Amino acid sequence: MTVLFEGSARVLLLVHAVLGFTAVFATTHHAVSAFLATIGRPVQRQLQRFGWMASASIVAQALFGLLLYPAYRVRVRFADLERNAPAVVQLFDFKEHLSALALALVVGASFAGRALPADAPAAESRALAALSGCGAALVWAAALIGLYVTARHPVGTP
Amino acid sequence: MRELRTSLWSVSFFALGYLLPGTLRFPTLTYDPVARTVGFTAQVSSIAMRYYGDLLWACAAGLCAAVVVWNSRRPPRPVGVLAGAALSLVALDVAFYLSRLLAGV
Repeated sequence: MTVLFEGSARVLLLVHAVLGFTAVFATTHHAVSAFLATIGRPVQRQLQRFGWMASASIVAQALFGLLLYPAYRVRVRFADLERNAPAVVQLFDFKEHLSALALALVVGASFAGRALPADAPAAESRALAALSGCGAALVWAAALIGLYVTARHPVGTP
Repeated sequence: MRELRTSLWSVSFFALGYLLPGTLRFPTLTYDPVARTVGFTAQVSSIAMRYYGDLLWACAAGLCAAVVVWNSRRPPRPVGVLAGAALSLVALDVAFYLSRLLAGV
């Protein structure tokens, strides 16, 4: 029985992890810039720069995660975790949901942040900061859970 | 700001579109990694995955909302209300999945 992309799972996992770290740092920088905008700092260039970095890295990370998912499902979840660590299965499912919601928040915050004017009303700056901050928090949570599950049983290993 | 309002509406509909198909068991795209078959069904076997389909539902809902709001000529709603609604829906999703996690542990 061969599972889709099983042969290249370790490479895909490494790329997924590197993109994950990029997403964590880019979304954090974007959130900090958005919070600075609420106190009147001129951060339009940072919002544009970190906006495209955050959205590109999280979309790419999600795509690599989706490619890895069949191999995880068969070789890690059903072959190991469901019998030996069912709580970790639940934790990974929770991480997948957080990642999906983070994707929407980060892409939305990046799109909105690119157009935030220097003299934006306070309500708009605060809304952007909330959107971006929540997105970054979910990305951090998903990354930490992902690291925990990977430490337990990395996909691509027996 | 048109971009911010579009994003907030889009996030709201993404959150709804992500939560509802899974909880209400709407038919969705499924993939069986062992048989390597793709289907469109509400009944998913234990090994098959409906995550791709649920994500597609959510992306479609978010994109449709974005297109409609971007082209809308209706007077815009206050951005604070939109932000509150969007983040509340995201929080609802997180609370729902967290409750499932805690119930399963």
